Amino acid sequence: MSTIGTGYDLSASQFSPDGRVFQIDYASKAVEKSGTVIGIRGKDCVVLAVEEIVVDKLYEVDAARRIFTIEKNIGMAIAGLMADGNFVADIARQEAANFRQQFERTIPLKHLCDRVAGYIHAYTLYSAVRPFGLSVIFASWDETDGPQLYKIEPSGTSFGYYACASGKAKQQAKTEMEKYKFADMSTDELVQSGGKIIYQVNDEVNNKDFRFEMGIVGRETNGVHFINHASWSQLAIEAGKAAKTADGDNEI
Amino acid sequence: MFRNQYDSDVTVWSPQGRLHQVEYAVAAVKLGTATVGLKNRDYAVLVALSKPPSELSASQRKLIPIDDHLGISIAGITADARVLSKYLRSECLSYKHSYESAFPVSRLITNLGNKMQTTTQRYDRRPYGVGLLIAGYDEKGPHIYQVEPSANFFNCVAMTIGSRSQSARTYLERNLSDFINCSKDEIICHGIHAIRSSLPNDELLSKDEGASQLNITIAIVGKDQPFKILNEEENIFYLNMAKKRGASNIISKPEGDDDDNSSPGDEPEPSTRRDPLVAVATMENQ
Amino acid sequence: MMNNSFAQPMWSNGPSPGQFYNFMGGNAPTQLPRELTTAGPFGTKHSTAAITTGSSVVGIKFDGGVLVAADTLVSYGSLARYQDIQRVFKINNNILLGGSGDFADIQSIKRNIDQKMIEDQCYNDGVIMKPGELASWLTRVLYNRRSRMNPLYIDVVVGGVDETGKPFLGNVDMRGRAYNDYVVATGFGRHLALPLVRERKPKDRDFTFEEATNLIRESMKVLYYRDTRSIPQYTVGICTAADCSIKGPFKVEENWTFAETVKGY
Repeated sequence: MSTIGTGYDLSASQFSPDGRVFQIDYASKAVEKSGTVIGIRGKDCVVLAVEEIVVDKLYEVDAARRIFTIEKNIGMAIAGLMADGNFVADIARQEAANFRQQFERTIPLKHLCDRVAGYIHAYTLYSAVRPFGLSVIFASWDETDGPQLYKIEPSGTSFGYYACASGKAKQQAKTEMEKYKFADMSTDELVQSGGKIIYQVNDEVNNKDFRFEMGIVGRETNGVHFINHASWSQLAIEAGKAAKTADGDNEI
Repeated sequence: MFRNQYDSDVTVWSPQGRLHQVEYAVAAVKLGTATVGLKNRDYAVLVALSKPPSELSASQRKLIPIDDHLGISIAGITADARVLSKYLRSECLSYKHSYESAFPVSRLITNLGNKMQTTTQRYDRRPYGVGLLIAGYDEKGPHIYQVEPSANFFNCVAMTIGSRSQSARTYLERNLSDFINCSKDEIICHGIHAIRSSLPNDELLSKDEGASQLNITIAIVGKDQPFKILNEEENIFYLNMAKKRGASNIISKPEGDDDDNSSPGDEPEPSTRRDPLVAVATMENQ
Repeated sequence: MMNNSFAQPMWSNGPSPGQFYNFMGGNAPTQLPRELTTAGPFGTKHSTAAITTGSSVVGIKFDGGVLVAADTLVSYGSLARYQDIQRVFKINNNILLGGSGDFADIQSIKRNIDQKMIEDQCYNDGVIMKPGELASWLTRVLYNRRSRMNPLYIDVVVGGVDETGKPFLGNVDMRGRAYNDYVVATGFGRHLALPLVRERKPKDRDFTFEEATNLIRESMKVLYYRDTRSIPQYTVGICTAADCSIKGPFKVEENWTFAETVKGY
C-alpha cells in the first residue's frame, strides 16, 4: 500500500486506487504536528488539557488559544491549524445558538458533534475546497446527560470517548491514559491526571517552553465551562511538574 | 521534493501536511518594510519604516486609522491591506451604530481572522498577502495584535513584522520587561529604537536624519488618546528625543554598544542583559 | 453573530456546506421580507394590537445604582390572566430589563438578548455588555421594526451600572424612541409615577437608596389604586456595582377602609 499519493492526491474529490482520499490523510498530518491535546471524562466532570507550543516571548499569555467555550456548558479544544480552529469554533457556536433559538435549551453534545462533524465532512467531498486540518474535541456536562466527551477527526468521523488525544504525542498520551481509570475519578483527581499526562508527553528537547492550558466543566463548576480556571489550573500544573521531576530520576 | 506539485492551489494539502500557498502568502509580508507595535499600561504605539519607491515620490502609507480606538500598520501588498481596512472600518462603524460604544479589539480581530480563513480554503480565493499590526484601546486596556495572511492572529505584548525585522525583534525581546512601566514618551522612544535597528547598514551610518531616505511614522492610541498619527513636528520631536536617549542603542551588530548616551531614565544595562533569544513561531507548529 | 461569507454559491440546487436547517434543500435566494412582497393596498396588515400585556414598569436611579419595579401581572385584555409573572429580568451582572407591552414580544426579544449574553460568555475576554449598549441595540432593533411596519409592541426600561460603577437608566419604546433620565416609567407609570418622583427629586444631588425604595413603594401603591390592569404584587430589581438581583415579590399596602365613607357601599 503506497503512502505517497502521486497523481491521486491533488484533490479531495479523488480516490486513490486503494480506496484512500489522500488529501484527507495529508490534512491529518497537519494535526500530527500540532501540540498535544487531550480530553478525559471523570465521574461528573470533563477536562480538556492542551500543550500549547506556539510560544513566543512577544506574545501575551492568551495568544494562540486552542480551547474555546461554545455554550455555557460546552467546551472545545483543537489540534491543527489555528485559523481553521477559530472558524470551526464559530460554526459550532452558531449551531448551538440555532438550536437554542428553536428549542430553547442547550444543545445536547451528541447532536452538536454530529452537526459539526457533518460540516467538517462536507469539506472533504469537493475539489473546490480543502479539508480542515483540524481535530476537534468537545466536552460538556449537565445534570441529565452527565459528563460527555466527543472527538472529530479531519475526515469528519466522530466518536464518543472516555479519554482521547490528538496532536504530536497522541500515541504516547494514549499509552499514558490507559494506565488510569478515569470513570471513577473526582474532579480534583481528574484535573491532576490531565496535568500529569500533558507534562509527561511534552517533548523536553524541542518544546520545553510550553504553556499548559485547561478547560474544565462539571458538577463542581456548576455546569459552566471555564478556561484556565485559576485554582484548578494551578492544581494541574503542580501535579504535572511533580510527575515530571519524579520521572526525571528514572529515565523514560 | 513534491513541493511544486502541491503549491499552486490553496485547496491542496502537501504530503507533509502543509499549505504552501498560505506559506507563500506569509512570505509576502517579508517584502514590506518593517513595522513595530508595542504597548505600556495605557498606550499602544505603532512605528513604521517606509521607503519611497523613488526619490521623486512620496512613500507608501503604512499606518491606517480604523476608528478612534484602533489603527493598523501594514506590511505586504498594500491593495490587500486596503480591502481589510475597509472591512475593519465598516465593522467598527456598524458596531458603534448598534451599541454606541467601541468594538472590543479582541472580538474585532477574531471576526477578521474568521473572514480571512475562508480565503485559505476555497479554490477561487487567495490569502490576503499582507500582515497587520493592530494597535487598539478598549475597556480592557491597550492591545497589540498581529494578524498573518494565514488568518492566524496573536495577542502580543510587542511585535514586529516586515523585512529585516529580526533585529527589531531582538531589541523588543531584550527590553520587554520595561515596557509596561514606561511613560508615553519612553514607549515611543523604544519603538523608534526598535525600528532603527531594521534600517539597512548604509542608512545607519548617516546619523543625519535629513540625508536619510527612509521615513519613520509613528501612531499612538490609548487612554484619553484617540488613534493619532503624529504629524511632522511631533515626529521630529520624538526622533530627537530618541536620539538623545541613546542613538547608538542600535542592534545592527550582535553586541550593540548601548553604554554611551544612556540617560538616567533608561533601563539598567550591564549585568542583567540577556542574550538575544530568537523565538520563531512557525506556521507549522500549531 | 458571525459572517459565514462565501464569495458566491458554488453551484445551484445542490448541497452547500454549512447550510443550517435548510429543509427545502438547495440554495434559496435572499428573500425580501414578507411585508414587502405580499399583495394588498399597503402590503400585509400587521395587527398592532397587543394580546397578552404587561402594565407599567418604573425605574429610579439612585447614587449607587438603579431600581426597576413592575407588578407580576400579565393581562389578557381586561382579564387578569397570569398573576405571578416576572417582568423584571436580570440580563447579566450589570443590566436589568423591565418589560411592558405585549408579553410575547418581550419574551421574544429577551430570547435574543439571552443569546447575546451567551456570546459574551463564549468570547471569554472579560468584556460583558453594558446597559447603555443594550439600550442602544434595542433602540436600533425597535426602530427598524417600526420602519418596516412590523413593530414589537413593547416599552422597556433598561437599567444598570457600567464597568466603572456609574448607574444607567433608560427607556426604549416600540417606535425606537429612547431616552435616559433619573426616573423612567412605562404605561400608566408614565402618567402617575413620573410626576410623583420628579416632584421629590432633590435639586443638587441624586436620590439615596432609602429615598429611591420609598418612591418605588409609593409609585407601586398609586399604580395599584389607579391602574385597572394591575395587581398588588410586584417585584423589584436592584443593580449596583456590588449586586444585581431581583427582589420580591412584595405586596402593596392596600387600604380600602375609605370605601365605607362612600355612599352606597
